[in-house]
Amino acid sequence: MTILNIILLLVVAVTIPGLINRTRARLAGRNGIRFMQHLYDLRLLLRKGAVYSTTTSALFRIAPSIYLAAAIVASLFIPVGNLSPLISFDGDLIAFAYTLALGRVALVLAAMDTGSSFEGMGASREALYGALVEPALMLIFATLALLSGCTSFADIFAAGATFDLRYAIVLLLAAYVLVKIVFTESGRVPVDDPRTHLELTMIHEVMCLDYCGVDLAMIKMAGWLKTASLAMLAANAVAAMIQLCWWLAVLLAVLITGLAIGIVESTQARNKLMRNTTFILAIATMAALVFFTGYLLQLKLVF
Amino acid sequence: MFFICSLLTLVAIATLIFAVPLRVKIWAALTVVGLGALYASARAIEVLLSGATIRLWQFGGTPFGVDSGSLDSLSALFVLVISLGAIAATLYSRGYLSHYLETKSPIHISLHYTSLAIMSLAMLAVVCSDGGFSFLFFWELMTIASFLLILFDAERREVCRAALSYLIMMHVGFVLLLVGFVQLHAATGSASFAALTGYFATQPFLSLFLVFVLGFGMKAGLFPMHVWLPEAHPAAPSHVSALMSGVMIKTGIYGILRVAMALSDTASLHIAGMILLGMGVVTGLWGVMLAATQNDVKRLLAYSSIENIGVILIGMGVALLGESSGNQLMAFCGIAGALLHTVNHSFFKSLLFFGAGNILSQTHTTSLDALGGLGKHMPLTAILFLVGTVALCALPPLNGFVSELLIYLGMFNGIASSNDILPSVIGLVSLALIGGVAVLAFTKLYGTVFLGSPRTHEVAEASEVDNCRVAAMALPLLGILVIGLFPQEALRVVAQAVKLFLPTDISWQLSPVMVTICRSAWLLILVSAILFRIRIRLLQNRTVAEGPTWGCGFTATNVRMQYSGESFSEGLEAIARPLTHDSEEGAPVGKNEIFPSDHRFEIRHKDRIGQLFSAWWVEALHLINSRVMQLRTGKINHYILFALAFLGLVFLLSIFNLL
Repeated sequence: MTILNIILLLVVAVTIPGLINRTRARLAGRNGIRFMQHLYDLRLLLRKGAVYSTTTSALFRIAPSIYLAAAIVASLFIPVGNLSPLISFDGDLIAFAYTLALGRVALVLAAMDTGSSFEGMGASREALYGALVEPALMLIFATLALLSGCTSFADIFAAGATFDLRYAIVLLLAAYVLVKIVFTESGRVPVDDPRTHLELTMIHEVMCLDYCGVDLAMIKMAGWLKTASLAMLAANAVAAMIQLCWWLAVLLAVLITGLAIGIVESTQARNKLMRNTTFILAIATMAALVFFTGYLLQLKLVF
Repeated sequence: MFFICSLLTLVAIATLIFAVPLRVKIWAALTVVGLGALYASARAIEVLLSGATIRLWQFGGTPFGVDSGSLDSLSALFVLVISLGAIAATLYSRGYLSHYLETKSPIHISLHYTSLAIMSLAMLAVVCSDGGFSFLFFWELMTIASFLLILFDAERREVCRAALSYLIMMHVGFVLLLVGFVQLHAATGSASFAALTGYFATQPFLSLFLVFVLGFGMKAGLFPMHVWLPEAHPAAPSHVSALMSGVMIKTGIYGILRVAMALSDTASLHIAGMILLGMGVVTGLWGVMLAATQNDVKRLLAYSSIENIGVILIGMGVALLGESSGNQLMAFCGIAGALLHTVNHSFFKSLLFFGAGNILSQTHTTSLDALGGLGKHMPLTAILFLVGTVALCALPPLNGFVSELLIYLGMFNGIASSNDILPSVIGLVSLALIGGVAVLAFTKLYGTVFLGSPRTHEVAEASEVDNCRVAAMALPLLGILVIGLFPQEALRVVAQAVKLFLPTDISWQLSPVMVTICRSAWLLILVSAILFRIRIRLLQNRTVAEGPTWGCGFTATNVRMQYSGESFSEGLEAIARPLTHDSEEGAPVGKNEIFPSDHRFEIRHKDRIGQLFSAWWVEALHLINSRVMQLRTGKINHYILFALAFLGLVFLLSIFNLL
C-alpha cells in the first residue's frame, strides 16, 4: 500500500504540469505541446553538462540535491486518500512544513551565492513569501487537527472518513486555501509567473537563473513534487467530504490543481509585486477564518 | 562560613590569574573554569542518571534564615548547559584575545579572565542554590562579573553606555527579585524556592508570580525589558556575547521555571500559562521582526536570542495550560520542548556568536553591507556558521527542529483534544511566523556575509582563524548534531528534569515520534547524499565550464551591485515598520538622477522600546539634573548654609507636626 502511495504521488507530480499546459493551450485556442513534453525537457536537461559561475562556492553545487531531497522526504509524509504514507508520526504536519522550509533555505542561499542582484532579489522575495505563507499552512493543519482530533496526516485523513457533513464547508474552504498556497509555493500566477525569465518581477525562476543541466532538472522535479504534495492535501480534504479513497483523491488532486492553475494563468495577470504581500496575508487571514469557522462548528454553537 | 569560603575561593582565583605570566593567564582561567565545570557536570550526570537530589550546602544565620543549595535534575540540566558554554567560551577567548595581549595592560587582561572564571562559577552556583540569600548572592556576583566582561573595550564610548545600561537594568531586576524573596520569607518563614509551593497554595499568587517573572525576565530579555541585549552584545567581546546570550540569559529562564513549577491549582496554572504564553508570543515576534531588519551581525544575533527566549516561553505557557486542563501530553510536550530549546539555543547561539567573533577579528567589521564572500576565505567558519544557521532556523535534521516540534506538538495536541484551543492556535500561528521570519533573517545574514563576492578589500583579504577557536566552536557543534540526529536520547535526559513538573512520566508516548524523527533525519541526509552522488556521476564525463554570473545581459556588474542586507529585508520592513524607529543619515540616490553623484546613505532600524529611553522624559530628567547641579557651587560656606537650611526645614516641619 505504501508503495502504491509513493507511485501515485509521482504520477500526480508528473501529470499536473502536463494538465496545466494543456489547459492553458486550450483556453488560448492552441493545440499545445505534448502532454508529457515536460518529461522530454527533463530528459534533455539531464543529458547536459554544466556551467558554474566563478563567484559560487560548493554550497551552490550541493543546494539542488538538498532541495530535491527535502521535497522527496516531505512528500513521503503525504497520504494519498486512504493509503498509508511511508513516514507517519504525531506531528508529521510540522515536519512536512519544516522539511519544505529546508529546501527553500537551500535554494535561497544558493541564489545569494551567485552574487547577482537579480537572484538576490528573487531570494529575498522567496524568503519573505515563505515566511508569510507558513502561518496559513499551520492554520489549515490546525483546522484539520481540530476537526479530526488527530495530529498526523494519516490519522487525520483516516478519521476523515467519518467527518460530519456539517464540516463540509470547512473542508472545502481549507482545500481552497491550500490551492492558494500551492499558487504561492510553486511560483504561479498571480504571485509569480514561471514564463517570464528575464523580468524583475519574478521570484522563483530568477533564483535558478544560474542553474543549468542536471541541477536545473533537480530543481524542476522538486517543484513538481512540492506542488503534488500540497495538491494531494487539498484533494484529500475535498475527498474526505465524499468518500476518501485513493483514486478519487488522485483524480481530484490532478484536476483541481491542474485546472485551477491553468485557468488562473490564462485569465489573470500577475499581481503587482507590492500586492503580493497583501495577497499572501489575505491567504493567512482566510486560513484564520477557516479555523474559526471550524471552531464554531465544533462548539456546536451554530447548526 | 560558606560565604567566607566562597569569597576566599574568589580571592584565590583572582590571585592565581593575576600572578601568572601574561601568556599563561588563559590556561589558568581555563583550568579554573574547566575544573569547576567538570566537577559540576560529573555531579549533574550522576543526578540525571539516578534521578535523586544531592544536597550541596546548608547553613543558618543568613537574613533569610537557613540557606541551602542542592542539585536536582532541573539544576543538573542547566549545569550541563553552563559547563559546556563556559568551557567553550574560555577556550575561544584564547584566540580572540591573543592580539589584545600587546595593546591592553596585563591588569586589564587579568581582570577579564578573573571575571570570566568567576562568572562561569557563579552561574553554576546560581542554578544550584535553593533560593534566598545564596541565590541572590551568586546572582549579583554573576551580574557584576558579566558587567566587567562587557567593559573589556571600555575606551569606546558606546561600550561604556551599553555596560552601564546593562548594570542599571540588572539591578532593577535584582530589586524585584529581592522584593519577591522578602515577601516569600515574610509569608512563609523561608525564602527557598520550595517554599513557593506553600505560598501559592495559601496566598493570592498573581502579584508574587509577576514580581518574580519580571525580575527574572529582566535577565532573560523578555519584552519590553530586552533593550539591554542588543546594546550589550555588540559592545562585548564575542566570547562574552556567546556566554551571555547562550548561557547567562538562561538563568532567567531557570528562575521562571522554578517559580512556575511551584504552581499547583488549576485556576492559577491557567492564568500563569496565559501570561507566559502571551509574553512569549510578544517577545518572540518582536525579537524576530527586529532581527530581520538589523544590519549588524551581532545585533541581529542578539535580537534572535530575544526571539528564542520567546519560543521557550511559549513552550512553558503551553505546558502550564496543558497542566491546568489536565492534558498530560500537552504539558509534557510544552515543558520538554521549552527545556530542550533552552539547551539547543545555548549550543547554536554560542556557535553563531563565536562565528561573529571570527568575522569581527578577521575583517574588523560586523556590518552586513561591508562583508560578503567570506565562505571562500574562511571555509571552516562558514561551514560551522551554516550548521548553526540551519539549527537556529529549526530546520531538520538539526536540533532546533526537535525542540520546536515538541512545542508545536504540544499546541497541536491542545487543539486536537479541544483543550485551550484559542491560546494554542495563537501560539501556533506566532511560532509559525517566528520560524518563517527567522529563516528570512538568517538567510539574509548568511547570504550577505558568507556568500557572493567580498564587498571591501579587508574582507577579500581575510584568512581563517586559529585552530583553538575552531575547536571551541566544535564543542557546541557536537551538541547540535547529537541532539538533532539522536533526539530520543536527548528527550530521555530532558524527561528526567520534566519529572519535577509532571510526576507521571509519559515520555514513552513520545518515543515513537522521536524514533521516526531520527529516521527521517537520517533519510534526509541519505537522500541528499545519494542525489549529490548521482549528480557527480552524471557530470563526470561532460563539459563542466566556469564563467561569470549571468548578469541578464549587463556585463559591467560590480560587487556593490549585490543584494545587500538592507535590500534583502526590504519587503519585511514594510510590515515591521510599526516596531522600529528608523534613523537615516545622508540621502539616498534620487530617482531622477540619471548620472548619480557621490552619495553616502546610512539607515538604522532602532527598537521603538529602546527609543523610549531617549524620549522627552529622559531629556526632562537631564534638565532637572542640570538645575540641581547648580547648587553644587564648590564653596564651603554655601554647603554649611544648606545644612542649616535643612535643619531649619526639619525644625519647622516638626513644629507643625508634619513630620
